[in-house]
Amino acid sequence: MAKNTLNSGKRHMGIRAANALSNTAIYIILIIISIIWLIPFVCIVLQSFRVESTYQVGYVVPKQWGWDNYAKLLTSDFKQWYINTFVTALVTAALQTVIVLCMSYTLSRFRFKLRKPLMQFMLVLGMFPGMLTMIILYRVLKDLGLTQANAVPGLILVYIASSGMGYYVSKGFFDTIPKSLDEAARVDGATRAQVLYKIILPLAKPIVIYTILTAFMGPWGDYVFAKYVSMGTSSGMNVAVGMFGWLSQDQINSSYTMFCAGGVVVAIPVTILFLCLQKYYVEGVTGGAVKG
Amino acid sequence: MANVVLKNVKKVYDNKVVAVHDFNLDIADKEFIVFVGPSGCGKSTTLRMIAGLEDISEGTIEIDGEVVNDLQPKDRDIAMVFQNYALYPHMTVYDNIAFSLRLQKMPEDQVYEKVTNAAEILGITDYLLRKPRALSGGQRQRVAIGRAMVRNAKVFLMDEPLSNLDAKLRNQMRAEIILLRKKLDTTFVYVTHDQTEAMTLGDRIVIMKDGYIQQVGTPTEVFETPQNLFVAEFIGAPKMNIMKTDLIKENGKYYVTPFGTKIEVDGEKGALLAQKGIAPQELTLGVRPEHIILTKSGENAIPCTLEVNEMMGSELHLHVYTEDGTRIVLRVPTLELSAEERASLVSGKELHISFEGKVMHFFDKDSDQNLLYG
Amino acid sequence: MKKYSDLEYLKLSKWKRFLYKIASFFASIPAGIVNGLRKIGLFFKNLGLSIANFFKDLVMTFVHGTWPTKVSYVIMGFGNVARGQILRGLLFFVFEVVFIIYMVTTGSYWLSMLPSLGVTGPHEEYNAILDTYITVYGDNSFKILLYGVLTIFFIIAFVYTWYTNIKQNRISEQILKSGKRLKSGKDDLRSLVDDQFHRTLLALPMTGIVIFTVMPIVFMILVAFTNYDGTHDGYKNNLFSWVGLDNFNTMLSMGEGGSRSYAATFGEVLTWTLIWAFFATFTNYFLGMLVAMMINKKGIHFKKGFRTILVMTIAIPQFISLLYVSKMFSRNGIVNGMLLDIQWISEALPFWEEATWARVMVILVNIWIGIPYLMLIATGILMNIPQDLYESAKIDGANAWKQYTKITLPYMLFITGPYLLTSFTGNMNNFNVIYLLTTGGPTNPSAWSGATAVGYTDLLVTWLFKMTTGAESSYYMASVVGILIFVVVAVISLIVYGLLPSVKNEEDFQ
Repeated sequence: MAKNTLNSGKRHMGIRAANALSNTAIYIILIIISIIWLIPFVCIVLQSFRVESTYQVGYVVPKQWGWDNYAKLLTSDFKQWYINTFVTALVTAALQTVIVLCMSYTLSRFRFKLRKPLMQFMLVLGMFPGMLTMIILYRVLKDLGLTQANAVPGLILVYIASSGMGYYVSKGFFDTIPKSLDEAARVDGATRAQVLYKIILPLAKPIVIYTILTAFMGPWGDYVFAKYVSMGTSSGMNVAVGMFGWLSQDQINSSYTMFCAGGVVVAIPVTILFLCLQKYYVEGVTGGAVKG
Repeated sequence: MANVVLKNVKKVYDNKVVAVHDFNLDIADKEFIVFVGPSGCGKSTTLRMIAGLEDISEGTIEIDGEVVNDLQPKDRDIAMVFQNYALYPHMTVYDNIAFSLRLQKMPEDQVYEKVTNAAEILGITDYLLRKPRALSGGQRQRVAIGRAMVRNAKVFLMDEPLSNLDAKLRNQMRAEIILLRKKLDTTFVYVTHDQTEAMTLGDRIVIMKDGYIQQVGTPTEVFETPQNLFVAEFIGAPKMNIMKTDLIKENGKYYVTPFGTKIEVDGEKGALLAQKGIAPQELTLGVRPEHIILTKSGENAIPCTLEVNEMMGSELHLHVYTEDGTRIVLRVPTLELSAEERASLVSGKELHISFEGKVMHFFDKDSDQNLLYG
Repeated sequence: MKKYSDLEYLKLSKWKRFLYKIASFFASIPAGIVNGLRKIGLFFKNLGLSIANFFKDLVMTFVHGTWPTKVSYVIMGFGNVARGQILRGLLFFVFEVVFIIYMVTTGSYWLSMLPSLGVTGPHEEYNAILDTYITVYGDNSFKILLYGVLTIFFIIAFVYTWYTNIKQNRISEQILKSGKRLKSGKDDLRSLVDDQFHRTLLALPMTGIVIFTVMPIVFMILVAFTNYDGTHDGYKNNLFSWVGLDNFNTMLSMGEGGSRSYAATFGEVLTWTLIWAFFATFTNYFLGMLVAMMINKKGIHFKKGFRTILVMTIAIPQFISLLYVSKMFSRNGIVNGMLLDIQWISEALPFWEEATWARVMVILVNIWIGIPYLMLIATGILMNIPQDLYESAKIDGANAWKQYTKITLPYMLFITGPYLLTSFTGNMNNFNVIYLLTTGGPTNPSAWSGATAVGYTDLLVTWLFKMTTGAESSYYMASVVGILIFVVVAVISLIVYGLLPSVKNEEDFQ
């Protein structure tokens, strides 16, 4: 009985009114969420223009505005770090994409005897913390002269060498391209290689862009590997390792606002690139999760 | 233009499932052969082995006298139409059809000639610059055929090419494939699960089940002399009626006794029984729905009750059940009945049916083999 | 345990069905273990069989082989060349030559030193020219271990290649006997872009993985059985050597000065790691789904705008956003500053300074970082749920909540099951969020008083990282912890995969 009255009450209010009410509530929640999400970014931008002091303060809006912090970046090692990171990201993006695509296309399309064992093997390998390998890789790179000042090529090598293990997402995408397309092309007279670049690659544009994008963004945020390889030599650091130092106990008071400025300079190009290619990123991420 | 020979071909998948057992078949040059069977019978697998898309586990396949087991699909000189068309989505219709020609490094003007020619035959000239996704199912089908056509391949393979079309379009395309076949005049291997397609298209039909060939023969052969119960039931719609009965012999004449009647096996069938010296036994009797007639009550009439009356237009499909619950279907031409008779055929009506000796098929009750032709 | 038939099961109450399911799961464990053991047994049986086959093949091929085949046992590739397959033959031959040269020049040295990991350490030696004692460096344990492992890999590769060489001879003989033609070098090259294209494609990625992942992991597993650390670096300070299972004993032994054992500390860190991974995964999962549903609700505008704002946290490199947020909440940070300013608090809040505060904070900040990913994923999946499911549910009288629990949630869970698992293990190893926010702190004073301090928010990985940096780097313990992380992750994965309904046949999707 009670249920009935409730229902009839709702009916009186009308579907439209109920909908409007819930929509309003959702708008309020979403706006609050948006504000929470934006606050840190607004703060970092505002503080990067603070001129009156360089340490942490308890207010957001600067009392004195200026470009001083950005100017200081130009005279610091930041320039070098930025170039290091940019070059690393660019080269990594190119090579890693090639490797990942080779791997994922093969595992998606070819049925060779060792395929299943290979995939299981890589699954097991992935369960070891990657950091563990850095101890030895660091020593080896050091012997090869690819650490410290020469960290960039060393870092690139480390990033791309094992990138074949990150094949899951793009394999998932390749799996969705009907196999009959390959077969049709092979019957039409194409070799396996021709199938890849004449049929599959043009169809795999979203996942190619996704792979390039993630490979490009990776080096900007990496701290652990870059820290190992640069080993305290400033000219071999990437932005993450370098700027992490600015926030250490003894530097934070003189470098905090500079960190904010550096953060903005690093974030802007990456963010713009990301937002432009968002569509592809979403496709990749969703596909990857659905495929597992 | 070539013959295809399959010798002891066997397919075992990685998970040890045997899809095709010991498949032997000679396909003559310019023959149109149809593989038909229920899903999972191995017909597509066999076709794909001919195409080179599946490895051949045992045996050999020859095309035009050459063993092709180790050849890649591209080196076998075959053309294939896929069930889901497999059109390259990023290419226009023109590029789709031209793809194989360009891979052969054919000069562009010849490519143009061939593609436009094929498009004209198939009536898709207006869509040459469209992408596949902008086409209807029937148009895509034509493009897929066009793509195979321009190859001038030795063997033309088709894997259930009509199964994604609606019934009306399927009938139309079926007719067009017959015309196409005349134009191309090459060897065709066609896979379908639809016995109508098999009967109308094939010079010969290969009926398969669980990886084994059940029968190979012309449409007439498989229809009139099915080698076993499976073929008998698979070919023809509605399917053949099956009844358990006894074959008895009195005074040198054979009789069957379905549902307490006693019908003489006369004519050709009776003679064959005698000639083969078939002993009286319990067996499975098959009679096609079109060979059962409505009759008045009498000595050899089987009493039954009408359950469903399907009006198909030119004929009625009457579903009846006998006193022991056996269900039987019979086809009655609409014109043979008067309007009142037709109106009286409602569910629950008591009827009598009968059939003659010459339309009977006899199968061993255990092995399901045809006693006369098996 | 009583087994119900399907029809009996359906008669049970909801509660009983649930109990029954749990009971059947546990009842199935023994069978699972037996099955697992049987598989292991089968594996060894197959292994034994294939080894036996290997030797049988070798002998039989030699006995029945033609003379080029017999010569190939010593000179690899001879048979190929003799039968006209020049390219293959040369490749085999070159490989053999390289191998022999390597083994003679350096390989044998590394191999012979492997059991001892070096004999002469760094020592003072009298130098006649300078007339003084100078330090002379002896063997290098690190290199011995590294190149020793490398040499073993190389030997395995050689044996495999040698065997392939012999097998090819046998196959070639068979092909020639059946009257067919052998593949020429040109055929071989052509097949590399066609039927053997997968080899071409895999060559580069797999080389990278073997050299930069497999070898280092083998190396590090071995390190767990040595005393390699900052003071035993194997060259400049002291050599390091094999210590057997000592490090694993340390793991179980009591700390110095009566403090807690290594194992207890490990247990604490592991517990927090699991708690963290659980919350980090599921808070993100459900909140992300919720946000996605709100944004995707019919009649909500600016969908794209909201989404873009959220994905900013994905776009901006984590070290910026996380470091900045970490500083926002620090003692002198903006948040404390403002709260003090408006006098809501009289003393700065210890966001990162007290264990519970810090632990809650990392989970909250992780929500900020993680929701956008889940929002994107959930959006994609939600849009794929067939609308007719909802329509039929509505007609059946389901309200919004029922629709969520009966359709949306099961669908999401089914599809994202494997993702949840990877996300859980990923969070267990989520270095960035923890290290950039707290660097593992605040320090846990009651933890083991060995070389490496551990904090309340330290995960196993950040702890491991700390062990490998700094002067007192204790690489061997890092290896031990690394191996244990592997064990934990592997066990969790196995259990979850065993339970997941959607442990799927990958082909199902194709």
